[in-house]
Amino acid sequence: MSQSNLLDAIRSAILAAAVTFAAGSTLAQDAQPAAAGGGIQRERTVPAIASGKWTGKRLADGQPDVQGHWSNTIANHNNWTDPQGGVPGDPNPRAIPKTQRSERAPSRVSDPPDGQVPFQPWARAVQQEFLANFHNPTRPEYIEPLARCAPAGVPKSFTWHGFEIRQYPGRVLILFNSGWRMIYLDGRAHLPDNVKLWNADSRGHWEGNTLVVDVANNNAKARFARTGEFASDKVHIEERYIFDNGGQRFNYVATITDPTVYTRPWTATIPVKRYTERDEGDGWHYEVDVANTKDGHLQHERSERICIENNGPFGQVAIEPPKK
Amino acid sequence: MRNRIFISRLGASIVAASLAISAQAVAKAKLPRLANGRPDFSGIWQTTSAADYDLEPHATRSDAPPGPGIVEGNVIPYLPAALAQKQKNFAARNADDPRLKCWTLGTPRGIYYPEPFEVLQRASDLTIVFQFGQSVRTIWTNDTLHPKVTDNEFYLGDSRGHWEGDTLVVDVTDFNEETWLDRAGNFHSSQLHVVERWKFLDENTVEYRATLEDPNVFSKPWTIEVILDRHREKNFQLIENYCFTRDFDQYYPVPTQTGPARDKE
Repeated sequence: MSQSNLLDAIRSAILAAAVTFAAGSTLAQDAQPAAAGGGIQRERTVPAIASGKWTGKRLADGQPDVQGHWSNTIANHNNWTDPQGGVPGDPNPRAIPKTQRSERAPSRVSDPPDGQVPFQPWARAVQQEFLANFHNPTRPEYIEPLARCAPAGVPKSFTWHGFEIRQYPGRVLILFNSGWRMIYLDGRAHLPDNVKLWNADSRGHWEGNTLVVDVANNNAKARFARTGEFASDKVHIEERYIFDNGGQRFNYVATITDPTVYTRPWTATIPVKRYTERDEGDGWHYEVDVANTKDGHLQHERSERICIENNGPFGQVAIEPPKK
Repeated sequence: MRNRIFISRLGASIVAASLAISAQAVAKAKLPRLANGRPDFSGIWQTTSAADYDLEPHATRSDAPPGPGIVEGNVIPYLPAALAQKQKNFAARNADDPRLKCWTLGTPRGIYYPEPFEVLQRASDLTIVFQFGQSVRTIWTNDTLHPKVTDNEFYLGDSRGHWEGDTLVVDVTDFNEETWLDRAGNFHSSQLHVVERWKFLDENTVEYRATLEDPNVFSKPWTIEVILDRHREKNFQLIENYCFTRDFDQYYPVPTQTGPARDKE
């Protein structure tokens, strides 16, 4: 694409974004104290779930049965460390929260205690540069890759729409709104180090109620949020999906290590709840259709997810329409 | 004399028939199965055929190796106007084939495209994850029907499966008209209806048949057949291939202390 086409595309995208806001985006609801059931930001606290025994139901191969539909309870990918705080610098006054910081959900950075990613100074500058240019991108690299339909990557995918977990002997498959991840439980080695991937390479095992996943081979192209936090392709992530024995919640707890970018390892925590037929599909946390059952009983099912072909890019700072 | 020959031929054919039956029985006994007894298609599969280059028989050309075709009767029965469209597509194939944009290949094309796909199977469904473009297709085997809503337009269609003995029969409807059937410009409309039949020949080989009908494009239903082989290489796995990102990968270099490459254009 030529530079002038890109700039045209960015201009129309900004217009489209303005229309989205005017139509009443979820950000407009951010301005209200987060109320149960309102918008996509349903909760302001993170419940404690301890690692320990799994007493819930199991699959035939012994894995805890955690299949089904799930979504984070806090907010979307607007802001990594102030999840309900909108994207700083948003030109739309309605997108600026009127709440105090203490009234909003805590940072996704659960360690260090200050809730900030422990960036090295140069890396903090790179993050700030992305954020400073987010609302008025003048270069292609200031457009978030997810807006171009790229997979959201690890760990951002867990803050972007609901997702479905399907389990098989030796495998956990996570189907996101944008892309999917296969977690291998069969003890195989990671892919060779030179293979770098949007959704990285995942090897896991179960420890009681906790799915422990070692994540390598990350291509480092997906930022963690619209606020621009990132890792390099040297990053190593240990994920712990800690499921409560009631089967209704889990906490995603990831230890993120990258000595080339951070001053110390840090931990991200994302609270997640289950959605079932007791819930209404809402097109975001719970993106399902009603299946056509022979006896008419209520059953939800996931439909085809297509991004690049259908709607192509979206939202905030979308880009060119798909090539026809 | 004649009788003896007849009898010995008869005997040989009885022996041959019983050998065939026992070979079948062995193959059948060795088929991987789910706990519910249904054949288990879990695994990574790929065709070795040249079907994706052109479903019909074709000689070698600059953009395709030769192939005997996989269409029963060799010729796709196009309606006249549709045949003209196919010929236009063929002429423009190296620009217009949706695969060049890494768009979802569709059904049945994803099955005989020359990249692996993985089947993950539960009693209630088969999930097919394609390496090319990382598309995901679900074949429901939970006794549900096609959606009541009839204006769905899916790239991969809506797939409802049932079992006829050990054969998985899948009825696929609710298509859009964005996908091609191969690199030669064979195509369909949103009225496409596909009936697939998946059958093990042995535990590492699947016979895949699909009958296509489309009143807007074809004069009668037609059938294709390919063999799918299981990938058995050590440590084989799908490698992520969101190839539609290749257009913009360049904009997202790994952030480094010296900053992203500037003004490289």
